[in-house]
Amino acid sequence: MSGSGIIEYAVLIPLMPILAFPVILFLGKMFNGTPSWVKNVKEGGLIALTVMGAVLILSILLIKENLHHGSADHIFNWLTSSWWDSDTGAIQKKVFGVGIYIDHLTVMLLFVASFLCFLINVFSIGYMNTDPINDNRNHRFYAEFVLFCSGMLGMVLADSFLWLFIFWEIMGLCSYLLIGFYYERPSAAYAAKKAFLTTRVGDVFLVIGLVMLWNLFDGHLDYSYVFNPENIQAVDQGALQIALGMMFVGAVGKSAQFPLHVWLPDAMEGPTPVSALIHAATMVNAGLYLVARMFPFFAEAELGALSDVAIIIAIIGGITAVMAALIAFVQMDLKKVLAYSTMSQLAYIFTGLGSALWLANNGYDDLAKFAMGASLFHLFNHAMAKGMLFMASGSVIHEMHHAHHEVAHHDDHDDDHFDAQSMENMGGLASRMPITATAMLVGSMSIIGIPFIGGFWSKEGIISSAWQVALKEPIFIFPALLILIGAGMTGFYMSRMWFMTFAGKPKTEVAEHVHEQTPWIPIPLVTLTFMTLFAIVLAFMHSGHWLGDFDNGHYTSDLVHGAADEMHHVFANDDPFLLLLTYVAIGLSLVLGPSLAMALYGGRLDEGQKAKPWIQWAINLSSKVRRSSHFDNSAWAESSFAKSLHKRLHFDDWYDAAMMKIVVGFANLSALFDSKIIDGAIKGIESSSQGASRKIRLLTTGSARDYIMMAALGTLAIFLMLWGVA
Amino acid sequence: MIEPFSPEFWKVLAPETVLLLGLIAVFVIPNLGNTTFRIPLTKIQVPWFLGGRRFRLTGAAHLPGLIGCATLLGSLLLLVIGQFDGSFKVETIGTGELVLFRIDEFARLFEMIFLSAVFLASMASLDRVPATIYEETDELEEMYNNRRQADLYILMLTVAVGMCMVALAQDLFVLFVGLELASLATYVLVAFHKETKAGAEAGVKYFITGSVASGIGLYGLSLLYLEFGSLQLNDLAAGWSESGVLAIIALGLVLVGFGFKVSAAPFHFAAPDAYAGANSPVAGVLATASKAMGIIGLIRVLVVVALPNTEGSAVWVYTLAALSVITMTWGNIAALGSKNPKRMLAYSSVAHAGYMMAALTAVGAWRWGHISAPANYANVVIAAVLFHLVVLVAFKLGAFLVLGLLEMEGGASRLSALSGLGRRDPLIAACMFIFMLALAGVPPLAGFMSKFLVVAGIVSTGVGDITTSRGDLLIGDLHWVWWLALALFINSAISVFYYLRIGVVMFLEPPEEGRRKPLPYGVSIRMTIWFCVCATIFLGVSGDFLIDMCHKAAESLNLV
Repeated sequence: MSGSGIIEYAVLIPLMPILAFPVILFLGKMFNGTPSWVKNVKEGGLIALTVMGAVLILSILLIKENLHHGSADHIFNWLTSSWWDSDTGAIQKKVFGVGIYIDHLTVMLLFVASFLCFLINVFSIGYMNTDPINDNRNHRFYAEFVLFCSGMLGMVLADSFLWLFIFWEIMGLCSYLLIGFYYERPSAAYAAKKAFLTTRVGDVFLVIGLVMLWNLFDGHLDYSYVFNPENIQAVDQGALQIALGMMFVGAVGKSAQFPLHVWLPDAMEGPTPVSALIHAATMVNAGLYLVARMFPFFAEAELGALSDVAIIIAIIGGITAVMAALIAFVQMDLKKVLAYSTMSQLAYIFTGLGSALWLANNGYDDLAKFAMGASLFHLFNHAMAKGMLFMASGSVIHEMHHAHHEVAHHDDHDDDHFDAQSMENMGGLASRMPITATAMLVGSMSIIGIPFIGGFWSKEGIISSAWQVALKEPIFIFPALLILIGAGMTGFYMSRMWFMTFAGKPKTEVAEHVHEQTPWIPIPLVTLTFMTLFAIVLAFMHSGHWLGDFDNGHYTSDLVHGAADEMHHVFANDDPFLLLLTYVAIGLSLVLGPSLAMALYGGRLDEGQKAKPWIQWAINLSSKVRRSSHFDNSAWAESSFAKSLHKRLHFDDWYDAAMMKIVVGFANLSALFDSKIIDGAIKGIESSSQGASRKIRLLTTGSARDYIMMAALGTLAIFLMLWGVA
Repeated sequence: MIEPFSPEFWKVLAPETVLLLGLIAVFVIPNLGNTTFRIPLTKIQVPWFLGGRRFRLTGAAHLPGLIGCATLLGSLLLLVIGQFDGSFKVETIGTGELVLFRIDEFARLFEMIFLSAVFLASMASLDRVPATIYEETDELEEMYNNRRQADLYILMLTVAVGMCMVALAQDLFVLFVGLELASLATYVLVAFHKETKAGAEAGVKYFITGSVASGIGLYGLSLLYLEFGSLQLNDLAAGWSESGVLAIIALGLVLVGFGFKVSAAPFHFAAPDAYAGANSPVAGVLATASKAMGIIGLIRVLVVVALPNTEGSAVWVYTLAALSVITMTWGNIAALGSKNPKRMLAYSSVAHAGYMMAALTAVGAWRWGHISAPANYANVVIAAVLFHLVVLVAFKLGAFLVLGLLEMEGGASRLSALSGLGRRDPLIAACMFIFMLALAGVPPLAGFMSKFLVVAGIVSTGVGDITTSRGDLLIGDLHWVWWLALALFINSAISVFYYLRIGVVMFLEPPEEGRRKPLPYGVSIRMTIWFCVCATIFLGVSGDFLIDMCHKAAESLNLV
């Protein structure tokens, strides 16, 4: 792998946003509130958009060049330290520098990150700049936004685990800042703190893992060294397994998986573009990226030596998939449903990656690459669909706010307790917000896995891969079964969300006054709708196989044959077990989940309201189902299990209790230690050295005679010392 | 071997020749006037041009400065081009057995340090920076008038010529002559603002202590000559291992002489006074180029001469180790309480001298004691010292130039002069802050890199002796040199306090009464500050090429 062509400019991809960060911040400070800053530059939004546009173009060029093969480029050395090795007697050099590493994984993530960052930037200009609450502080938003983007892009392009970690932490910081964007709101400040601290728990493990890795690989963390098969086989496999396990905990924190998932729902306190950017489309994928990056370890290590980590990854994924879906059943907040859905879908990908890693470690290379490809493909589909869903939900919330202002103005009373995010206040929006409703429908269908649309292809691949492993390793039946059940649950909660928001009659007066009116917002919605639908083309290009590994994948540009192949593979598989599995999954996700949701929440729109024809069918169908089989679920809704679901299965309570009992006590103790002993020591050193400084400067009398005297004494001392030695 | 004053001689010494010509030009051109000379016993008036009423062009106040800067820049460019166009080769200059100069990578690197430091200081002085502001404009006029300017640049160029001689010298006597040429010029430069009490006093003090140190050093040289019958570096190095006690006494005396130049404790006392009394660009030259000159002396005498290829010959290691620790600690402790930013920087430069001496000690320990390092390892450590000297020009001089900008406005001898700078001139304050961070050694700035290289060199020497496998390292197994690295580390930690205090004062404290307006606008001084900032960042981020250069320079000493 050698560097040539566009890759030499690849370093600009993270560099441009990181340079734009201070520019937007300082210009914002200088010109804040001036008409041209607000109108012409959109409070920094256009600067950010220009940069992100350049990044997108550069990324696409880079991806185009590297679509079939990986490449790497070492850009420059920052630090070369030389020391001599007493064992060999030679002078050794160690280089710490910057480099770019590109393979199938980078390409996938780079496209997702740069594409969505750009679109969400477009969305933000519509969303943030028209929100009166953001008066005169959007420059801070855009500055943090571009810094975040550089963190994500840098992490993806980095050529060593060290740089990966550095950018990982930049993202963590930006996530904290952006969740706490409305810092004057106590809940936002609390959510920011919670997100930061929870991910920090994972990061500590990640650091431990990296240090172990560094130790194992003789002080190297760069991919070119640690992925070398000889080096992997030379290290202690048991220790490697523990190191990878530690790193996985870091990924669990970043991607909000059980048991470090508690921060993600609260993180919805941030502005909606932030939720779309960080908590759906990009940052939460960082954990997946880290796990996927570990693939070479599993492929090259001793057969079966690392299986345990792979199994743990899959099981964590399986548990999270079902748990998050369960909690999503009862959420009323539009964004929280999406948050739990994100968690659940990420868990699918983790299970898929776990399968891929297990297969790779046990010598099933082709299956492993397919599982990897399916996971990456699902990452792509999920990022596109979930980014779109969040933006669509933002659009709904934004227009609800506007409508609420209008209504409140008419009635001349301001109802502060109105919750614009609650689905209980919506309903019947399908005719009033056609673009948003379409986007949300397509996105939901992709997440559910309705055949032929987006996520279906990849989800099918993940489930079948997990079962492939389950056939070989009995313990894998557990996660495989969980994600199969989860498929049906996804069908329920996503349909519930859509029907509660868009179908039926408006539940409040506000919902009757909603229109789609904000500029900029529809652009990303439409783009992503097409992107989600386009996934079928990717599927027919055999992306499931090809994404897993460039070098051996069967990328095809013959769409007709590709389509035939893929259809055969999915719907008429030669393996009867997999065939059965596919239809069970389709049955669960297509029939059972949505029809339950329709029965409970479906319904016709108001008289005279007509949705677009491509939405109307869903509404008609739902009202039919509801009429035929509506049932009363209040008994279930009152049950203690539902209550505990409302309480998010008590995880937050337990964590809080643990915090109060253990962590706070320990924190108080360390605060005491800090203020008394450390500060005391520092103050002591400070005052004593200031005293010493006063005394020592007294020697500088200002008289040349004394200076010469001192020099003479010094000369004498030198003589004595030389004499003593010689 | 090239004979002096042969055509070849001028060719290989082109940069120095340019300096000499420039020096003559600064002498002559500002003095051109309309005088005539009457041939005796006749009435014929012959135009003589020297003296009388100056022409408009030659009498211009900025002319000497421009000539000086152009000369230095031309010389610097010749050096750099000669170094990089591939035609460079090592040349020796001398007659018969006697080697006077040797042009190698080491000498050229030091010449680059000297010329760039003097050039930057001269550029900054183009805006005519007085030490204090004067109420009456006449006096100001006098300060700035043409001849006063010419004096400044004559002295600057003389400093440059002397320093280049030191870099090239292969004979301790030649080295001494160059050293004195440069030193005498710096004494005058320190006292350049003779109108102020501080300036005159500082100059005299610096001169007296400097003369004493030179005298001691010269006495050491004479003893060396007595012992060896020659002051040629080659002869001294060849005969060192068989030398007697006289040589050791001489070594101690020479150490004092150069110790003053690098401002090692306890010979540093005049330095803070001198830096505080001189105007800031000159103080910057003292803290960078003048110090580098002393380091050349130390390297030549301690490493080249007194480090022959036998174990146990470097008798000076313990002495230098003690000196280095005392110097860095003294410098940092004194800087801690210093309320005058210029004195603070002076003490910090004392501390930096200590760091570099610690590195040289590690080089010596490599031959003394039982360290079994590969023969060329000493080069790595020396390269670290050279790198440190180069990057000091960027951020130490830069910091002095910022103070120079404040002096244009009315003095920079109190910490409060810097207060509120963050609001008055954010860009300059940011530059100053970057310089301070670099001095404190914060990555990714050049100061971090240099400190890292020095510490890594010492540590590697200190732990390199241990042959046990990894994991069984005990403190007792470490070579004592390792403790120098620890001392350096602790001292760096102390120094962070006073460097960052500058940042606190600049950004958090309100400006002084009467100093609320933006800073005066000096194009050339601001340009030089910007240049220094860029160099500080650039050399920190990608200084690999410079490290290579320093490594080559260290190799050209042929220590092995």
